[in-house]
Amino acid sequence: MKYALFLGCAIPIKYPGFEAATRRVCERLGIELVDMPFACCPPPTSLKMVHHDSWLALAALNLCRAEEAGLDLLTLCSGCVNTLKEANHTLKKSDSKRRKINRILEDQNHHYKGTIEVTHILDVLYQDSVVEKLIKEMSLELPMKIGCHYGCHYFRPPKIMYPDELSDSESYVPVKMDHLLSIIGMEPTEYSRKFLCCGSPLGANADQDAGYAIVKEKLGHIRERHIDALSVICPSCFEQFDMGQIALSRKFKDQSKIPIFYLTQLVGLSMGMTPKEVGLDVHRVKSKKLLESIGIS
Amino acid sequence: MTVKLWNFFPREALYECYQCARCTGSCPALEVAEALGPRETILKCLNLGHDEVVEDERLWVCCTCNVCEDRCPQKIPISDLLVALRNSAARRGNIPDKLQIAIELLAKTGRSMIVHQLDEMRAHHGLAPLMPVPIDEVREVLKKTKLDDVIEF
Repeated sequence: MKYALFLGCAIPIKYPGFEAATRRVCERLGIELVDMPFACCPPPTSLKMVHHDSWLALAALNLCRAEEAGLDLLTLCSGCVNTLKEANHTLKKSDSKRRKINRILEDQNHHYKGTIEVTHILDVLYQDSVVEKLIKEMSLELPMKIGCHYGCHYFRPPKIMYPDELSDSESYVPVKMDHLLSIIGMEPTEYSRKFLCCGSPLGANADQDAGYAIVKEKLGHIRERHIDALSVICPSCFEQFDMGQIALSRKFKDQSKIPIFYLTQLVGLSMGMTPKEVGLDVHRVKSKKLLESIGIS
Repeated sequence: MTVKLWNFFPREALYECYQCARCTGSCPALEVAEALGPRETILKCLNLGHDEVVEDERLWVCCTCNVCEDRCPQKIPISDLLVALRNSAARRGNIPDKLQIAIELLAKTGRSMIVHQLDEMRAHHGLAPLMPVPIDEVREVLKKTKLDDVIEF
């Protein structure tokens, strides 16, 4: 199993711990990752909103690079997977858009053909063969109540993100992270508004306080279910919950904080990696006490 | 120069909307901020025309979470409409400062994040330095798609 690794911007620059955890986990599970000089995806929350053609062309440039190496693209972020999957879908489907983009790319000696697929680390880990390997590699269970937050762009719009898994009403509700975490001994717990936004794009583009108001609301629902920690698959969602709790705790002093983990950090811990190896030492909301309570230090 | 809005979004789809407000009732931005909201956006496009709507700063108060489209009983491609309206708004200078700065950074560096003392930070996690972005290619592509009509870089 071999993929072109699309790191994006936020993970390698702001949260390299997620990258370290992911590389270690993939190595142990026999998933080969190939590094390539990609540019920004670019985000569905920024460039797409301002200049759709530029967004599509830059995404196509990234797709071409993986295509030229003959590898499917593996992303680690809900934003990256949204852009690259949608651009890939659009360009495969529309002859006119593909021609238009190829006219732009030809001076750079690239030609988009539409021969690869785009995927996300969650979907890769969820494959049967990988789960079988994971069960063999696992050395401890992580018995705690975990809430999953998928990040909107990971699965919306479902007709583009998961066209083969739609329900009769053409909707899609993600479950893979909950299932995967139950395999490593966690107790996935439902909470109200689980599938709604973390507020990150609202904070980035418009109003930071309004973005954090969404975090506050979501955390209320998470506490209501006595959830110990939250698992995410997107660096923007992570920052929103991790930094957001620090910002909120300055305003509302009585709030207890809930540690946030990136998915591969939890998978790494279950394989016996140390908190430092999976990069937990740089999180703002500390998870030390929680992990000590289940015997990890 | 304006964006050909109806290339992005089928104009007839506006008439499919019966203003049930399921979109707006689901909108996380509207709950915490002065947003326009999808229902009102569609209504204003119908009643006032999109020229009025693209002048409104509240158009940008949005999570881009697509939940409005997800829950629309009429299956109106609302997010396509919102992308088209905002692309058009940006061309007329209606764009939040924060977003403008973010896109300037992206066009200049090929990344969405400022790189500062990165090698040390990556080394702390046992990681090699990050591969450089093919910035000349990125800038050429963005010039050819005429990003500089909207944002100078």
